[in-house]
Amino acid sequence: MINLLPNVIHMKDQFITATWETIYMTFLSAIIAGVIGLALGVLLVVSQKHGILEDSIIYSFTDKTVNVLRSIPFIILLAVIAPLTNYIVGTTIGTTAALVPLIFGIFPFYARQVQNALLEIDPGVVEAAQSMGSSPIGIIFSVYLREGLPDIIRASTFTVISLVSLTTVAGAIGAGGLGDVAISIGYARFEGDVTVVAMLIILVLIFAIQIIGDRLAKHFEQF
Amino acid sequence: MADSIIQLKDISVIFKDEQKELTAVKDVNLEIEKGDIYGVIGYSGAGKSTLVRVINLLQKPTKGTVQVNQQQLLDLDESKLRQARKKIGMIFQHFNLMKSRTVLNNVEYPLLRESISKSDRQDKARKLLELVGLAEFENAYPDQLSGGQKQRVAIARALANDPEVLISDEATSALDPKTTMSILKLLKHLNQQLGVTIVLITHEMQAIKTICHNVAVMEKGQIIERGPVASVFTEPQQPLTKDFVDTSTNVKEALARIGNDPQISKLDENQRLITLSFVGQSSKQSLISELARKLNVDANILFANVDQIDGISVGTMIAILTGTPDTLKQAVSLLTENGVKITEVKSSALKEDVAND
Repeated sequence: MINLLPNVIHMKDQFITATWETIYMTFLSAIIAGVIGLALGVLLVVSQKHGILEDSIIYSFTDKTVNVLRSIPFIILLAVIAPLTNYIVGTTIGTTAALVPLIFGIFPFYARQVQNALLEIDPGVVEAAQSMGSSPIGIIFSVYLREGLPDIIRASTFTVISLVSLTTVAGAIGAGGLGDVAISIGYARFEGDVTVVAMLIILVLIFAIQIIGDRLAKHFEQF
Repeated sequence: MADSIIQLKDISVIFKDEQKELTAVKDVNLEIEKGDIYGVIGYSGAGKSTLVRVINLLQKPTKGTVQVNQQQLLDLDESKLRQARKKIGMIFQHFNLMKSRTVLNNVEYPLLRESISKSDRQDKARKLLELVGLAEFENAYPDQLSGGQKQRVAIARALANDPEVLISDEATSALDPKTTMSILKLLKHLNQQLGVTIVLITHEMQAIKTICHNVAVMEKGQIIERGPVASVFTEPQQPLTKDFVDTSTNVKEALARIGNDPQISKLDENQRLITLSFVGQSSKQSLISELARKLNVDANILFANVDQIDGISVGTMIAILTGTPDTLKQAVSLLTENGVKITEVKSSALKEDVAND
């Protein structure tokens, strides 16, 4: 054991802390970006041409904003957004500070995923709901989010997995977590076993997310 | 008219693209009486689906007024319009059921935001499912049902708010002929039992013939012919209407077949090839045997078809009459006197017809 993992063996506590930091960053930013992304995804679908609340100005503004934010490479976004992070959190270092760029990095991506999931819903079903006198709010909750739920869950799984990956990038510039351990200890000090173990823990996290996501999607698709 | 439930006045619908304008419906006036089953027939692209979507304002007309149930729909605000729509049920070609809900949940969906208790709501949905003959399927999901069953669920759902009007937009077009008949029968039954006015859009004359009382024929966004089904059917005025009628009675096909048979298309001088159309009473008389008995004119029947349209018998026959020129003339007048419409088919015209096809 000592031969195989000479450095990891002395870092048990550090790994446990780093794992929790990664989980904390992933899930808190997933929840906040999830709400923003879901709202924007719905907004894109209802405001598009022939949507239930067609509005070309809102649509094109949202569409372009999402496109621009999605185009910024995450490592650059981290740097560009630092003043805003500092303004909101009071610092740019640490897991809580990392939430700001993580949220901005992922919500545009998630908005597109939600939009695509909702576009899969048969417009005829929406039309039928309109013909029955459903209000736009009723259609959003009872038709779009309900009929699209399995696809939204799949998109969410995919998004959370991407988010884990982003937390490691954030880790490289001082956010903590497994990315930080892998890079600033494992890579910088030539302690290869640290890097490998960090990677393995991340893989376990990702598999767990995938399995939970698949189960949930199946559960809501039992028809 | 006081008892008309739907009144569309001067309706035009124009779709504008960046480059071009498309007039889908042009200056259409349509009045439908309460309790009627009104058919709108036309080929795809004729504007019939656009026109009926104007009835519940799923399609806002560019011009004109829409009155349903004594309400001017274009004057209503959004929430009042939603209330009005609840009284206008609609069913669709592809059923448009919600996949994530059971049959029962689909039927109760329109009642979810109404102020009735869950048990009342489900009781009502169960009654509707019973009415359409699907009581035992309440826990199934739409994907487990056949097309005909899905349409029955859609009908039950459309009836949940006790609508005054039921719009059927090509509701049988995706179904096989047998299922089509059973759905049409169900619609007729609902019309009789609940008194719901039905507007039926279709491209099949068979559907119109089976249940409609009145019909409008649409072409290029306009109604080109309208009236009681029996009279439109027996005396079609426009070429398109004739086309629909001939297709549904198979007369066109029969004439083509006859034209292809050299023995039939070559007639003697004392023979005449005619088509006979008869309506109501005249279909009950034994005119053909009378021809033989009284005038010694023989009829060789090549094709015959009798339909029930709106409770009236309507028939078409193609026959070769053989006699002397004199008795043939008398035969024609005897038939005409008895209300039979005679059209002589020239064998040369037959060939042209075939050539054109």
